[in-house]
Amino acid sequence: MSSESSKKRKPKVIRSDGAPAEGKRTRSDTEQEGKYYSEEAEVDLRDPGRDYELYKYTCQELQRLMAEIQDLKSRGGKDAAVEIEDRRIQSCVHFMTLKKLNRLAHIRLKKGRDQTHEAKQKVDAYHLQLQNLLYEVMHLQKEITKCLEFKSKHEEIDLVSLEEFYKEAPPDISKAEVTMGDPHQQTLARLDWELEQRKRLAEKYRECLSNKEKILKEIEVKKEYLSSLQPRLNSIMQASLPVQEYLFMPFDQAHKQYETARHLPPPLYVLFVQATAYGQACDKMLSVAIEGSVDEAKALFKPPEDSQDDESDSDAEEEQTTKRRRPTLGVQLDDKRKEMLKRHPLSVLLDLKCKDDSVLHLTFYYLMNLNIMTVKARVTTATELITPISAGDLLSPDSVLSCLYPGDHGKKTPNPANQYQFDKVGILTLRDYVLDLGHPYLWVQKLGGLHFPKEQPQHTVITDHSLSASHMETTMKLLKTRVQSRLALHKQFASLAKLQAAVVLNPGYSSIPPIFQLCLNWKGEKTNNNDDNIRAMESEVNVCYKELCGPRPGHQLLTNQLQRLCVLLDVYLETESHDDSVEGPKEFPQEKMCLRLFRGPSRIKPFKYNHPQGFFSHR
Amino acid sequence: MERAAQQAVPLGQMEVFQALQRLHMTIFSQSVSPCGKFLAAGNNYGQIAIFSLSAALSSEAKEESKKPMVTFQAHDGPVYSMVSTDRHLLSAGDGEVKAWLWAEILKKVSVELGEGRGTQTQREPLRPPSAWGHRESYDSAIIQQAFLSMKGCKELWRRQPPYRTSLEVPEINALLLVPKENLLILAGGDCQLHAMDLETGTFMWALRGHTDYIHCLALRERSPEVLSGGEDGAVRLWGKECRIGGKTGGKGGWGEEDASHGSSSADLRTAKEVQTIEVYKHEECSRPHNGRWIGCLATDSDWMVCGGGPALTLWHLRSSTPTTVFPMRAPQKHVTFYQDLILSAGQGRCVNQWQLSGELKAQVPGSSPGLLSLSLNQQPAAPECKVLTAAGNSCRVDVFTNLGYRAFSLSF
Repeated sequence: MSSESSKKRKPKVIRSDGAPAEGKRTRSDTEQEGKYYSEEAEVDLRDPGRDYELYKYTCQELQRLMAEIQDLKSRGGKDAAVEIEDRRIQSCVHFMTLKKLNRLAHIRLKKGRDQTHEAKQKVDAYHLQLQNLLYEVMHLQKEITKCLEFKSKHEEIDLVSLEEFYKEAPPDISKAEVTMGDPHQQTLARLDWELEQRKRLAEKYRECLSNKEKILKEIEVKKEYLSSLQPRLNSIMQASLPVQEYLFMPFDQAHKQYETARHLPPPLYVLFVQATAYGQACDKMLSVAIEGSVDEAKALFKPPEDSQDDESDSDAEEEQTTKRRRPTLGVQLDDKRKEMLKRHPLSVLLDLKCKDDSVLHLTFYYLMNLNIMTVKARVTTATELITPISAGDLLSPDSVLSCLYPGDHGKKTPNPANQYQFDKVGILTLRDYVLDLGHPYLWVQKLGGLHFPKEQPQHTVITDHSLSASHMETTMKLLKTRVQSRLALHKQFASLAKLQAAVVLNPGYSSIPPIFQLCLNWKGEKTNNNDDNIRAMESEVNVCYKELCGPRPGHQLLTNQLQRLCVLLDVYLETESHDDSVEGPKEFPQEKMCLRLFRGPSRIKPFKYNHPQGFFSHR
Repeated sequence: MERAAQQAVPLGQMEVFQALQRLHMTIFSQSVSPCGKFLAAGNNYGQIAIFSLSAALSSEAKEESKKPMVTFQAHDGPVYSMVSTDRHLLSAGDGEVKAWLWAEILKKVSVELGEGRGTQTQREPLRPPSAWGHRESYDSAIIQQAFLSMKGCKELWRRQPPYRTSLEVPEINALLLVPKENLLILAGGDCQLHAMDLETGTFMWALRGHTDYIHCLALRERSPEVLSGGEDGAVRLWGKECRIGGKTGGKGGWGEEDASHGSSSADLRTAKEVQTIEVYKHEECSRPHNGRWIGCLATDSDWMVCGGGPALTLWHLRSSTPTTVFPMRAPQKHVTFYQDLILSAGQGRCVNQWQLSGELKAQVPGSSPGLLSLSLNQQPAAPECKVLTAAGNSCRVDVFTNLGYRAFSLSF
């Protein structure tokens, strides 16, 4: 509206400028506007040529009228005034026409200007567009040249020739039907082939290198062998000289051992023979050896000479010793005690190997004067055991074999006769000496064929093979199970020591269950934040507490939860995947039966126990 | 757990039990509705919760709009994986895949809540919670009511792949939609990829090759199209044709020998194992102390990124060589390409953002101690709900409105 009105006002201003006299005319604006509207429209309807004609005609008329008026005025007639008035009115009409024509001319001019302006703007826009396009063309041309000039790295690679490529490359790389027509695909395929070939060559190179290394090493070894051959040959030559002299059969290990065994005291001999026999017949994991000094044993077997010597010496010695030892009666008694508790210098060593490579070492001794056998035990395991405080004496030599048979603590002497011997030298009980001597378990006596009936003092004891043989098998089996169960117990203690559990008990226990939070110190600290399986274990005891309530009213919940936790921990430790790069067997060998080790995105272990079948599965 | 949930629990202990469940909850899977305004989350108790993203993101969001609109018992075991088609929500976990109609779920939600609140929502069935959120007394009793009645919510259909029976029903760890063939691929405990025709619901074929269970699947826009990663430490590529330069393994093959008609409509039908990448055998990324399992997998044209026991690594598939090893010690459980970044999550609180060059661009902490799934809501239908959601070892789903920080959490 405003723009429209300003447009309309403009011609008015022009008009008032061009003909100030007109301004005095009293005309309402609305009339003017109405008129201007029509005039602007009129412009288009009227022909400018005819307007020009009209203008010329009007001017002529005006000139004529002016001339007539002048004429009339110069004549100055009476009726001239009327004539003049008439002429004046006529010329006024012509002036009106002129003014209108003037207005039309202005409007035409403005229109013309507007049109020119419009056209000019259009031209400008086109020009700009043209420039833009030209710039774009230039840019694209630059890009194209850049692309054309692009140096790919592959151009530096020396590829095999095309014919060679199609001849040699396997069809799944060359793909002739695709690559023949498409140089890009062709180059890609050739590059692939190049990569493949280079990979192969690199592989070959590595192989050759390692081969070379191996051969070099072999040569080295052979050289060493050759260089050491000469001195060895020499030494063999020398060593063989006495052998040739003796011309004896070579002693083998067994022979030597049997030779030594001859010097064993009868109970140890029985044990040795039976154990060797049992080992050869039934249990290949049992190895038997003899320890100690054969010479000392030999010396014992020549009592006549020795005793004479002893006696002759002892007379002389007696005086010395009495001089030395008389001062205290205690020392004398000490010596007597030592004499009484003296062991045979030879001992029999039994190594009992279990399935998991742990070994029970048993050393059997014979106390000559007491006529009983004792044993010392030691357990070695395949893997280093980390001993927690709680599992302290599970594997200690002192207790590992106690109560193998019911009531057999190995602290008392099994030979009733000994008690009398002890009374003489003032030994109250053997208990104080077992740590040093070894334990005189009943089964040990039986293995040595020694049989001591109860409540029969001074019974002569003879060594009996059949007694030893009958006990050998059961005892060995008992020993094995003992060691295995002890190791398992040890392991459980060890694993439990690594687990810390924080328990929150609500006053409303046991209707409101306790909450467990776990922390396992094994291969780093593991909590529910960094180990999904710890979280799952917590969830097993915390969320699934209803399975653990036991009989109503469920007061055993906490106990059951703890027990469940132990089982869960066992599963956790046993199913932990073993790192192949680390040497040695697993710290916790798998004993539980599991269908699968892991399941689901969180890799949860099988924590659910299936009762009658006895395997673990996933919840 | 689920059995415990179904037991009749004396009144008063229900709250204790639910609190314990929440404390030990793990959210395995997420899926955005086709309209982009709702998020489904599946947990280890077999429940699926539906959250309204639009309500939680709106300016007048209240605490209760971050709670599920509805929760229902979908499976007996954990819900390991979910995907959405344009009409269905597919969920799987304990050996079965079930389909739920999104429209049905959302209608049910509004009806249940409408009854709980009176009559006001009946007129507008799909009104988000914020609409009735101005009533202050929106309380858990209503959710409870909705929950109880949704227990009866029935799936549209359920299918079980043909397992070779064992003592345990194998789980399904991953679902993958192949839209152009209208196929659903399932993989998990039985070490096979099963393909189901979504039209007919029949299992068409199975792919064998993995020697241990499968963790994850990924789809690629060029052949070989389907990738799978598993506990055996291998990423296997399944496709139609032989690949350039790849080690072609002849071990795998189709269950049924119907490779004769290789029409273009069923490209995958003739597929076989065409490439195997044994990630743990590469020194650059192998970490024997973590195991060899591949937990996550994503592809983008010729590139693949995978992680798990071995370090998160970017691979060039055509030459099957590792190009970038990302320096992250914790095993990663989810990875995805996003624009020119790689987003990954796993053990630890953070969503990690990586440059392709291996630089760590940002680590944005969330509220869970460990993450299992990320979901980028890029539904064009709801541009205002364009968010990243992350869930894992807690009952919370973290919502990231941009990649820089956690905005808030949705909670079971």
